[in-house]
Amino acid sequence: MDKVVEACTRVEGCGNLIIYLKNDEIYQTELNFSVFRGFENILVGKKLLDIPKIVSRICGLCHASQTIASCKAIENLYGIEPSQQSILLRRLLLSGELIKSHIMHYFFQSFPDLLRIFEINPLIKDPYNLINYNPHLTTNVFNLIKIGSEINKLIGGRALHPITPIPGGLIFNPTGKSLISIEKYLKKGIYYIETIIENFIDLFSAFDPPTEFNLSNSIYFGLKNNMGFDRYEGDLRIEQNDTTYDDFQVKNYSKYFDKDPNLYGIVFKSNSKKKILTGPIARYKLAQNYGIDKISEYLSNFGKKWKSNLLFLNFLQLIEIYYEIQKSVEILDTTLLKSKTKLKQLNSIKKSNGIGVIEAPRGILMHHYHLNKAKIVDQVKLFIATEINLPILNKMITEYAKKLYEKEDIDSVKEKVQIMIRAFDPCISCASH
Amino acid sequence: MKLKFLITSLTSCTGCISALMSLDVFPQFLERTKIEYFPFISDNLEIKECDIALVEGCVSEKNQIEYLQEIRKNAKKLYALGTCSAFGGILSLSNNKDSHPISKFVDVDGIIPGCPPPSILLGNCLLRLVENKEIKLSLKNMCSTCPLNNLAKLDLPLTIDKIVPRNDEIRFPGENVSCFLNNGILCLGPITRDGCDHLCIHQGLPCEGCLGPVSKGFTSNLINFLSLFNLSKNLRNYRGIYYRFSKLFAGGKD
Repeated sequence: MDKVVEACTRVEGCGNLIIYLKNDEIYQTELNFSVFRGFENILVGKKLLDIPKIVSRICGLCHASQTIASCKAIENLYGIEPSQQSILLRRLLLSGELIKSHIMHYFFQSFPDLLRIFEINPLIKDPYNLINYNPHLTTNVFNLIKIGSEINKLIGGRALHPITPIPGGLIFNPTGKSLISIEKYLKKGIYYIETIIENFIDLFSAFDPPTEFNLSNSIYFGLKNNMGFDRYEGDLRIEQNDTTYDDFQVKNYSKYFDKDPNLYGIVFKSNSKKKILTGPIARYKLAQNYGIDKISEYLSNFGKKWKSNLLFLNFLQLIEIYYEIQKSVEILDTTLLKSKTKLKQLNSIKKSNGIGVIEAPRGILMHHYHLNKAKIVDQVKLFIATEINLPILNKMITEYAKKLYEKEDIDSVKEKVQIMIRAFDPCISCASH
Repeated sequence: MKLKFLITSLTSCTGCISALMSLDVFPQFLERTKIEYFPFISDNLEIKECDIALVEGCVSEKNQIEYLQEIRKNAKKLYALGTCSAFGGILSLSNNKDSHPISKFVDVDGIIPGCPPPSILLGNCLLRLVENKEIKLSLKNMCSTCPLNNLAKLDLPLTIDKIVPRNDEIRFPGENVSCFLNNGILCLGPITRDGCDHLCIHQGLPCEGCLGPVSKGFTSNLINFLSLFNLSKNLRNYRGIYYRFSKLFAGGKD
C-alpha cells in the first residue's frame, strides 16, 4: 500500500490530504488534521467563568461562536436565560463574525477555484493575481472584511476573541457614536454584498456545476426554529427530505448522535447509508426560505442542479452575508440596544449537565459540560461542524479521486481534490480542537 | 524594492492571521510586498528566501521544529506573531501537550505579542516591517496608562479572591471605579506590557495578561507578582492563572 500526503493550501488551519493507493488504484482519500490540541481536556477543572475565554482560542475565525456556545452551556447549568438585549447583541456579534469568515473563505479560498472550474480564468495562482483580477470586487471584499471586523470590535470589545460575552449576558456600554457607526457600515455593506452576489450570478449561473460535486447522498442537520432562519435559538433537526425528519430538543441529543468515546469525531446513530451535512446548505434546506424577497430573487437564478451541488455553498455564503446584514440593521433599530447592559446574576448551579448550541458560520456548534458532585467540570464534549461534515467530505473526495485517477496523474488528483475540500470550507482550527 | 514575506502557522487558532487580514492596512500590505509563502491564501508550498517571516502558533509537534528551522534559514528576519509564538500561548494550560515558543528552537528578531495582537499594535508593526524598520513595543506596563490608575493606591497586602468581577459588580472606567486589585479581583496589568489600549479594562474586566511581560520569564514574573497578595484558597492552586499563556520561567527557555 502506498500513502501520498500533501499539505492543503487555502484552507483554514493546517490539514493534509492523504491518498491511499493499492496496486496503483486509489482506494481511500481523506482530509487529515496534523495536530489535535486537546481543548476538551484543558477545560476539565477550569472555572466556569474562565471557560468562554479559553474556548474562544479554539478558533480565530469562529471565536464569537465558540464563546457564545460556551456561555449558553454555562447559563444552562445555572438555569438562567440572558436578557433580550444581550441576545440581540450576541446575534449582532455572530453576524459580524459570519460576514468576515464567509467573505474571506469565498474570495481568498474559493473564488480562484470557481474561476478555474468554469474555465473563466485558470491563471489565478497567487494573491496578487487575485486582488488585481477585478479591483472593484476586491475593494468590496475588503470593505466587508472591515465591516465584520468593526462589528466584532464595537460589540465584542476586540477584533477577535471577544471580551464582552459572559455567562449571564453581554457586557455593553454603548456610545451613541458607536451604534451610529455600525449602522453606517452595515448600510454600505448591503451595497457591497449586492455587487458581489450579482458578480457571482453573472459569472457562474449560466453554467452547470460539475456533477462530481453533487450532494446526492446527504442528510441535513441544523437548528430548526419555526420562526424561520435562525442561528441562535431552536431545536435540532436531522432531515432526510421534506417529509422524513427528526426534530428533537438539544438536551436529548445523545439519542441521535454523540462524541466518539476517544473524542476523535462524532458518531450519528442512524441506519442510513447517507452522510450528515451541516452548514449553509443544511440551513438553506431546513429553513426553505430566508424571508427576504431580494434573496428569493437572487436564488431564482439557480436551478435544481446548482441547489443540490456542493459549489452552491459558495453562493449561500454570500446570501447569508446579505441576510445577516439586513437582520443586523433591524436589530440596530431596536430601542433595547440604546441602554446600558443588564446582566443576569449567576446565583446557584442548578444542573450537572450544561449544553449550549448555536449555528456557527460552518454549521452546528455544541458545547456540553458535565459537573461532578463538587460542581467542578469533569467532562467536556465539543461538537464541531467540520467534524460533523468530515465523513461526507471524505466519502466525496474518495469517489472524486478514484474517478480522476482513471485519466489523470496523481499530481493532478492532488490539486483537484483540494478544490473539493476547499468547497466544503472546513475549519481545521475548530476541528483540531 | 518590495520586501519578500513569508507568513505561516504552527499550532494555532489562525487568529493572528485572521487579525492580520482584518487590518485596514492589509490591502496596502499586499500591494507593497511580495508574498513568497502564505498557505492560508496562496498555493505555493515551497519555502524560498525571504526578507521577513511572520510565524504564528506554538511548537507542539516534533516535525514543526525542522519546518521552523527551514524558515529561519531562509528568512533574513523572523518575528513571532502573537502570544502562542512568542510565549507558548493558550496550550500552556494543557497537561499533556507541549506548547513551546518558537524562540526555544530558533533565534527570533522580535515579537508581536497579544492574543490576538491588538489591531493598532499589529498595524503599526506591519507598516514598519514593510519599510524594513525595526518594530517597537512599549517598555511600560499596562498600569502606566490605565484609566483606573489615578484611583489605584494599593494597600498591601491585599486579599485576592476572584478572577473576574461578579456580574452585578461590572463597572466601566469613568464610573468612579477603583483598581481591580483593590477590590480583590486579580488583574495582571502590573506585569503586562502596555499596548492594547486597555481593551478588557474598558469593558469592565481585568487584564488577563495576553500581551505578556515587559521583561523575560512569563510565569516567574507572575509567581513573583502573586506572592505580593493573599490568594484565596480557590485561586492558589488554579492552573488557569499560572499557565494561561505561557509556562516560561526564564526568557525563551522553559
